[in-house]
Amino acid sequence: MADATPMSGEPDNELGAFIADPELAGMFIADATDHLGTIEATLLKLEKSPSDLKLVNDIFRPFHTVKGNAGVLGIASIEEFAHKIETLLDLARSGKHPIGPAEIDLVLKTVDLLKLIIEELPARAAGKPVTDTSARRRELMARVDELIAGSTPPPSQKAGFTSPPPPSSNMDSDRDRGRAPVRDEQSTVKVDTKKLDNLVDMVGELVIAQAILAEDPAITGAADDRLSRRLAHVRRITSDLQRDTMAMRMVPIRQTFQKMARLARDLARKFEKPCTMTLSGEDTELDRKVVEHLTDPLMHMVRNAIDHGIESPAARQAAGKPAAAELRLRAFHRAGFIVVEIADDGAGLDTEKILAKGRAQRLVPDGLELAPADIHQLIFQPGFSTAAQVTELSGRGVGMDVVRRNIEALRGRIDIHTELGKGATFSIQLPLTLAIVDGILLGVGGDRFVIPTFAVQESFRPLPEQVQTMQGQVCMVQVRDRLYPLLHLGEVFNISGARQRVSEGTVVICHDSGRSVALAVDELLGKQEVVIKSLGEMFKSIRGIAGGAILGDGRIGLILDTGGLLSLVGKTTSQVAA
Amino acid sequence: MIGALNQGKSVIETMLAVEAGGAKGHTPTSGGKFLTFTLGNEEYGVPVLKVREIIKVMDITQVPQVPDYVLGVINLRGKVIPVIDLRRKFGFPAMEHTERTCIIVVDVDLAQMRVMMGVVVDSVSEVLNVTDTEIEETPEFGGRVTTAYLLGLAKVKDSVKILLDLDRVLGSDGQLGTRAS
Repeated sequence: MADATPMSGEPDNELGAFIADPELAGMFIADATDHLGTIEATLLKLEKSPSDLKLVNDIFRPFHTVKGNAGVLGIASIEEFAHKIETLLDLARSGKHPIGPAEIDLVLKTVDLLKLIIEELPARAAGKPVTDTSARRRELMARVDELIAGSTPPPSQKAGFTSPPPPSSNMDSDRDRGRAPVRDEQSTVKVDTKKLDNLVDMVGELVIAQAILAEDPAITGAADDRLSRRLAHVRRITSDLQRDTMAMRMVPIRQTFQKMARLARDLARKFEKPCTMTLSGEDTELDRKVVEHLTDPLMHMVRNAIDHGIESPAARQAAGKPAAAELRLRAFHRAGFIVVEIADDGAGLDTEKILAKGRAQRLVPDGLELAPADIHQLIFQPGFSTAAQVTELSGRGVGMDVVRRNIEALRGRIDIHTELGKGATFSIQLPLTLAIVDGILLGVGGDRFVIPTFAVQESFRPLPEQVQTMQGQVCMVQVRDRLYPLLHLGEVFNISGARQRVSEGTVVICHDSGRSVALAVDELLGKQEVVIKSLGEMFKSIRGIAGGAILGDGRIGLILDTGGLLSLVGKTTSQVAA
Repeated sequence: MIGALNQGKSVIETMLAVEAGGAKGHTPTSGGKFLTFTLGNEEYGVPVLKVREIIKVMDITQVPQVPDYVLGVINLRGKVIPVIDLRRKFGFPAMEHTERTCIIVVDVDLAQMRVMMGVVVDSVSEVLNVTDTEIEETPEFGGRVTTAYLLGLAKVKDSVKILLDLDRVLGSDGQLGTRAS
């Protein structure tokens, strides 16, 4: 088939169909990316049990589909390349060629290269310069020949990849296709994420509009059973609709986990620290946005675990552990949150060493005793680590402080459990969705603000003697034995009509990244779940405000951002405005 | 037709007129349909293609740390959009909102993106068809008045309408004009 085309460079005309039918092209890219992901994950399994021919089949099938789809679009360079590798897979699944590390490596490299080629297709179609993959493709194709020549040559070996696929292979794939429906395939529709986000937004509004209607005095005042029954019916439908649309944004964490498994494999080779990674809970579903933003921190933590956590095989054996380390990546539900956990059986964190370093870097004042959990949190401090490590980490672009910031941006938290010599477990706790936050409504003057419940530690009406002044300015609040910096919300945000005296209002203690601040507000108005909305480009530089929420009466309440508020402590109104 | 705006009926009528005007293309300083409104004694116009809708002044949530011409944000059927007071933006003395005060919701092309914004004006007048010949190049006012944000001046029916380039007006920081407020 495509063998007639010389292998140098890409024929420019092979993208004709791709350009002519953007929809088909988009589907091809999405499909191929999915399939390549599946192939990659299956390859990692095959590496553990190379003699499992079913796994080879599971790789062959999607591979064949990708090749076929490329053929339909007439992208000869992909088709030809995939065909060559498929020849090897075909021999392997019929037991004519053994699968070994070299074969797995080859197919993994093929997957990487195909991913790159497919990813760059739109750029190529637009006439932009792309990576020249022809040399790497030729190399991998030549490698197939070497591998096949190395094994007992099956009789029709040469013909197998220089002529169109033999009828038997067609029959095989037909059989596979015929078998496919027997597997529990779920039918899915691909939808533009923008449309989905819009839908979720609108449903959020519907829920609020429904609440506004239900609270309308004309309705609450009406003693009409039939009306309230009908309203209750609408409310039920609305909340079902909300639950189902929210569920549409949820995706399983599987793909991210598979990426980590691949990364762990590559790093284990690079650092020469053999390790196995076991995955569990790959089907746990998270908000699409959470999954997207979780990849980077997880990658960094896998790197950290293999680079720093796991000892060399020799050291492990000396400590009486198996030479091959074990990494476990788990995802599960716990008390309304999703927990993603990465555990290793390496050296663990050295609490004493971390504390000593923390004291040396003046992150911990002399004489202050810390609980082990607090000491472990030190590794998340920006700038924590020795100079040598900083260079190494900065080479990667992320440090543990960035990991924590990423997790906190997802409104999650990260905890460490470790035992010296036995290993470390990092567990990330995340909210189920980012679109809605459980908030406490605060009133200041005529304005209302929402503060996320998870950021609030406690609230109380302060006694005059709890409020400390300095140079005549109110600046601290004492709660039990602790002093908190005080922020008078009405003053910093310049709200007219706010209560001036702190002791006449309410104080809310809130925390972020281990720091706390006391907010002086007029009153607490209640709890409410709100849909978070961005205030847009125009207000992005405002400190202390995370977004807006539409409240029960249709007005907008601003959502407070504790981290930003902390940066306002000690500044006067004029400094804030400037 | 616009006089009835306060009774709420003709908002839709205005919208229809606006949409009808939207069918015709418009390039700056060439003729087309303009929505005209007043600020003080002056008549202004913006291309109708920019206008999404006209609403009455509603509850505006103030946002801290912004210039005084940014009144805050409103909830436009579930979308949070910023509201600008054009009086303060141009340095007019502030005025209490009356029943004729309106928010014109417009699409503005800022440096990177298109955003929706609300613009508070004293009152909305009409949708006006301005021909090419009625538009005059903006004269130089000797630096006393900023002219960069004008599309031109239209002389229609013996009155002058100041045609605004909203992208520039709303995309600029700070107050425009030279009137002391």
